[in-house]
Amino acid sequence: MNPSVRAYRATHDHEHALTPALEALHHFGQSRRDEAVRDPAALRELAADVHLPVAAVRGALSSYSEVGHDPSAIRYCAGTSCSLCGGDAIAEAFRRDGAARPVYCLGYCDRAPAAMLPNGEVVADLTPRQCTAARRGEVPAASPLMSIRSIARESIVTRRLVGPPSKLFPSYAGLKAALAMTPEAVTEAVITANLRGRGGAAFPTGRKWLLAAKAKGSPKYIVANGDEGDPGSFIDRVLMESDPHGILEGMAIAGHAVGATRGILFIRDEYPLAIDAMKKAIVFATAHGLLGPNALGPGRDFHVEVVRGLGSYVCGEETALLNAIEAGRGEVRPRPPFPVEEGLFGKPTVVVNVETLVNVPWIIERGAEAFRKLGTPESPGTKAICLNRGFANPGIVEVEFGLTLRELIERPECGGGGANGGSLEAVVLGGPMGSIVTPDLWETPVCFSAMGAKRINLGHAGLVAIPAPANWAAILRHLLDFMRDESCGKCVPCRMGTTRGHELVHAGLTVESTATLRRILDLMGEASLCAFGRETTGPVRTVLDRFGPQVIAGLERSAGRKEEAR
Amino acid sequence: MIKSATASSSSAPAAPLTATIDDRAVTIRPGETILSAAARVGVEIPTLCHSPGLAPEGGCRICMVEIEGQRTQAACHTPITNGMRIRTESPHLTSLRREILHLTISANPRGALRPRVDGTAMERLLARYGVESSDFGHHASSRPVDASHPSMRFDRDRCITCRACLHACEEVQGQFVYGIEGRGGASHLIFGATDRFVESGCVSCGACVDRCPTGAITDRDRIDRRGAQPPVETTDSVCGYCGVGCRIRSDSDGSVILSIAGVSDAAVNHGHLCVKGRYNHAHHHAADRLTTPLLRDAAGVLRPASWDEAIRYTATRLLELRNRHGADALGTMTSSRSTNEAAYLLQKLFRSIVGTNNTDCCARICHSSTAIALGLVTGTGAATASYDDLDVANLIVVAGANPTEAHPVVGARIKQAALRGAALVVIDPRDIELAAFAGVHLRLWPGTNVPLFHAIAKIMVEEKLYDAAYVAERCEGFEEFVRYLAQHSLEEYERITHVPVEKIRAAARLIASRGPGLFVSGLGLSEQTQGVAGVMGYCNLGLLTGSLGKRGAGMLPLRGQNNVQGNADMGSQPYALTGYATLSDEAARERCRLEWGSAPPREAGKTIPEMYDAAIAGSLKALWIQGEDVAQSDPNHEHVMKALRALDLLIVQELFMTETASVAHVVFPAAASLEQEGTFTNGERRVQHVRPSVPPPSGARPDWEVIRDVAVAMGAAWRYETPATVMDEIARVAPGLFGGISYGRLDGDGVQWPCPTSDHPGTHTVHAQGFVRGKALFTTVDFVPPQDATDTEHPLILITGRVLEHYNVGTMTRRGPSVELVGHDYLEIHPEDATRLGITEGSTVAVRSRFGEAKAPARITRRVMPGTLFLTFHFPETGTNSVVGPYTDPKSKCPDYKVVAVRVAPVR
Repeated sequence: MNPSVRAYRATHDHEHALTPALEALHHFGQSRRDEAVRDPAALRELAADVHLPVAAVRGALSSYSEVGHDPSAIRYCAGTSCSLCGGDAIAEAFRRDGAARPVYCLGYCDRAPAAMLPNGEVVADLTPRQCTAARRGEVPAASPLMSIRSIARESIVTRRLVGPPSKLFPSYAGLKAALAMTPEAVTEAVITANLRGRGGAAFPTGRKWLLAAKAKGSPKYIVANGDEGDPGSFIDRVLMESDPHGILEGMAIAGHAVGATRGILFIRDEYPLAIDAMKKAIVFATAHGLLGPNALGPGRDFHVEVVRGLGSYVCGEETALLNAIEAGRGEVRPRPPFPVEEGLFGKPTVVVNVETLVNVPWIIERGAEAFRKLGTPESPGTKAICLNRGFANPGIVEVEFGLTLRELIERPECGGGGANGGSLEAVVLGGPMGSIVTPDLWETPVCFSAMGAKRINLGHAGLVAIPAPANWAAILRHLLDFMRDESCGKCVPCRMGTTRGHELVHAGLTVESTATLRRILDLMGEASLCAFGRETTGPVRTVLDRFGPQVIAGLERSAGRKEEAR
Repeated sequence: MIKSATASSSSAPAAPLTATIDDRAVTIRPGETILSAAARVGVEIPTLCHSPGLAPEGGCRICMVEIEGQRTQAACHTPITNGMRIRTESPHLTSLRREILHLTISANPRGALRPRVDGTAMERLLARYGVESSDFGHHASSRPVDASHPSMRFDRDRCITCRACLHACEEVQGQFVYGIEGRGGASHLIFGATDRFVESGCVSCGACVDRCPTGAITDRDRIDRRGAQPPVETTDSVCGYCGVGCRIRSDSDGSVILSIAGVSDAAVNHGHLCVKGRYNHAHHHAADRLTTPLLRDAAGVLRPASWDEAIRYTATRLLELRNRHGADALGTMTSSRSTNEAAYLLQKLFRSIVGTNNTDCCARICHSSTAIALGLVTGTGAATASYDDLDVANLIVVAGANPTEAHPVVGARIKQAALRGAALVVIDPRDIELAAFAGVHLRLWPGTNVPLFHAIAKIMVEEKLYDAAYVAERCEGFEEFVRYLAQHSLEEYERITHVPVEKIRAAARLIASRGPGLFVSGLGLSEQTQGVAGVMGYCNLGLLTGSLGKRGAGMLPLRGQNNVQGNADMGSQPYALTGYATLSDEAARERCRLEWGSAPPREAGKTIPEMYDAAIAGSLKALWIQGEDVAQSDPNHEHVMKALRALDLLIVQELFMTETASVAHVVFPAAASLEQEGTFTNGERRVQHVRPSVPPPSGARPDWEVIRDVAVAMGAAWRYETPATVMDEIARVAPGLFGGISYGRLDGDGVQWPCPTSDHPGTHTVHAQGFVRGKALFTTVDFVPPQDATDTEHPLILITGRVLEHYNVGTMTRRGPSVELVGHDYLEIHPEDATRLGITEGSTVAVRSRFGEAKAPARITRRVMPGTLFLTFHFPETGTNSVVGPYTDPKSKCPDYKVVAVRVAPVR
């Protein structure tokens, strides 16, 4: 949020100015329907409660999608995997049958199509005929069990996800080891390991810590980014649900390194099971003295709490995520200042993706050199790859960096090729801000430098198979729908580019309007404030470049077709 | 703003850091953006969403520039760093900006934003980049204009959602009216909680209007009138409302004021204004302006007269009455609304031609207590600090002042100070707007300033939280002060003030830990029967924190009228000459004799309350009241009217037929503040040049000319051709304060007195080099309860005061758009009292004191404490000052407007 709005809260509420206010908005937005979320008297009351200006609160609420809905509505997944695996038919079935609305990705891409019942349970592998029964609760919830495997020489991310449940017992050995080290030594180890952020931006984690440790300001915050929004990725959900202590341990180690006393786990509202699991783990760890008062040594508290998101893809970006925690609009902030200097509540803050955090205890326990032995010299370590239902072997596979995309896609321990032996026209890698990679580029190794050279974004490393024959027109529409729906509205190129681009695509592309769409994409790609506006143009461009004529034909056929209600 | 040190900047570089902008070498300032560095060296990078001095938004993207080795970046939020090679213009950037403009206006209906070389920032950019309409299509439909607010309008069709308005509202006014609703392409500007602008909480400062690049938010006066009256003249002058003294730039068609904006580089207001100064100028052209002199005829009726006749009559009658009853049977109240020159000449006329010191001004009924107290403590009866100290202060204490309503531009600056982290302590019985921004708010019982300040001081002394070195070096009377405080207990103070000791302690500790600080005060200290003592007690806190004479600290009383400071400076006090010289100051008397031909009498004259008493007693026969509706503004209305009616000669200079003018014998039609030349002196002692934007209506004349002509008709050889020649004489009469001030030096921000010589820069912080009286004095005064005590008949305490939208008795603002925002006075009453007394929201309530009755609709609110009420006094029909009693401070004679015992009842 604007620093002035943050200052407003600080002057109006001295006691609580450094605590999250989003929960109050959450409660407000989910206990009211439709126009009731715009009721002036209620908004004024809410604003006074959270010590924010009423226009700011009203604006914040309106920037989130999980606000003002019918609580009995089915949330069907409109993510990339589900829409490629029959999601449209599921959506139609649910809508025919009662209240239903789309949501971008429930994180069950390996068992698409999926939907979430009002009680938060997810039903997956759905067929249209199951929908009515699913709504009545007569279809069993998707099992948390799924295929998780590792082909790395050492498993890091999945080490507590595979094997017997006893391994889930939190030893916190990494934290104990870290606390025996100086904060500088811990940071040094993470720098030496060359751990880079797994959420998509690949920023060197240790450098972030170093900057935050040096920054002036108190308290300092460790914010775990559990806002896994990329359709196609679900490793974060699985980690939060099944290895919450690995994440908490990573946060505490980061807290020690940075000198932070507060940790916040920001988890998207679409992941209720993850929210529950993390909350339980915090209680457990606090009860054992691993978090809370004096957790990091005498006089060194580390308190962790969960903040639920309110529905916004852009909040996966770190500055937008911080705005959300502060109960602001889910919009990015211009940088600098960077969060390590002026982050949450204007205080030094490290925002780390949850998968990245899980790497940290391992590095401390085993040493940076052990980590560097894995992967490639430039991209050491491992990466959890999510494989959607379009592959023969969907699920999660942990691999070392350096494997080629083709190996990921085709090796039997990995994707095993297309489902049912079908061939693939391409894969979507890393979600809507990632890349659509056609087979001619599949020899590229999974490695930041090699992929960067070919302008491929690894993103969060979700892989969604696009089986042949692909309906590229539908895929293009899906991409533009997502862009329009999730653009935050802060900057002109993205705000209006996604709007006008969406119109063009839904009006049916012609050669001429394709040129106009390319102008918009060029502008967004160059001039947008944040990576969302810039990077979401990549997959769209690939579709136009590689499949343009096909798309134009496809869209002409469907021109005039009514845009799906969202 | 001081940014926290970044991780990388620990060692100071030896060589200056440089970059190039369009091949021009630029020396880099730390933390500077490309945009501001470019502006500094004269390279203009186009922008829509960014305003200088405000936080970067980064939304419009028009300011994209090329940086060697990087992708294109937005100049407004990208820091310029060493060795950067920046291009602000290139064929690629031209095409990129053109594309951005196409996309930007696609959010608006076709034709809503069109190229125009002399238009808004947006229209100029469309012209420069040759964009007629968007290649990407346009918003399909037009949306209605929101004209719910009387002064501003919002045209959504012209809005590009750039948020320049939002930043201005938050970072200049601190009002937080604007927001953005919706996401992505649906995101749009909102205001407050509803979709009607007038309900938004907007305080009509116009900061957003000045920064809106498209004309989506506009002044209604400008748009509504300019079409009809095209030729425009622009004049820089000084606002004629409150004592802040904002510099204004008015547009006129040569005879009618069209609109007013702030002067952007003005030291006082940095371009900022308030609802009064910006929008309430219609009174200049009101149909009921007085345009001909009036004389009361034998039948007792006011009849039009020629200027010659009126001036001759006035001169003759003044001389007659002086000859018959003696000089002291005549008196004057010079106007704090008029110029220094007019005030100076009128007191001079009475002191030299008539020969009396019966010259006083409305400072008597507002800040006389403050001036006396500050004079006693420091040697100078004026603010020791300046407004820009607010921008650097670590601590601001606001006592008995409601600046966001009464001095809005200063109020906004205090809010910004709190937002940037300055500690704020508010001392006020009411829950004023600033209280929400404060670290501690002490809600004291009305009339208990003295014991509360003593209590704070006692804690600071006992806990050794004061600046011992400052106290030892620069103050006297400290030992007695300590002894005095030891005789009283905090529990006793708690009982009197109704403020819990722990709260007082929290305030004392905050003040001590964050001081030196700026001690702002208003009429809540001064207009009390212990007004002088209250301000002295407040000064003790300033001394304990070592604040007086330091940058970012000191005493800063907020003066009420535009020229109330100047009016007293000019000598409109019965016991002081021009420049505050005492009547026994032989050097000053000699200077008067040289300039005036005679020295003034040695005996002090009468104060305003004393003049009323004398009129009723029959010893005062003639009174010249310049530009003041005392019938409405002074307390104890019946008493005032009785006095005015008892006079043989009442001369009034006025804009309108006020209640005071209606009982006058002579009425001179006056020029308003935007119709004359002269100087105003604001509350930080800044003498600023007032220039006419439009001529007065035919028949009305500036006050100073009329006084000069009456003096000449009385036989004086006054030869002032211009106000400038009057100022030259003022400089000679009071050289210590004004010796260096002349019109030649008053361009721009003017000069702050003391300014003794023509090469003296003026004085920002008084007492920096030592106190004028030698050492500053700690003072103690025992608490005396307010004289207007409550009893069973009159169980409630009434405080009177102002609202944002109106100015004093409303003569000006009731003739402007403010009356559409607030159309009547109101009585604030606590819900508990309202329930008990059967008073409902909006119902008319009768307020009765021992002296009179007022009526106003109730506003039920927790802004007031149970047992207390608040009533505004802007509308004559309310009769607010009928209930205010005759009690005054014994030293200053300042009336107690702030503690009136009353009872209230619903009017059935």
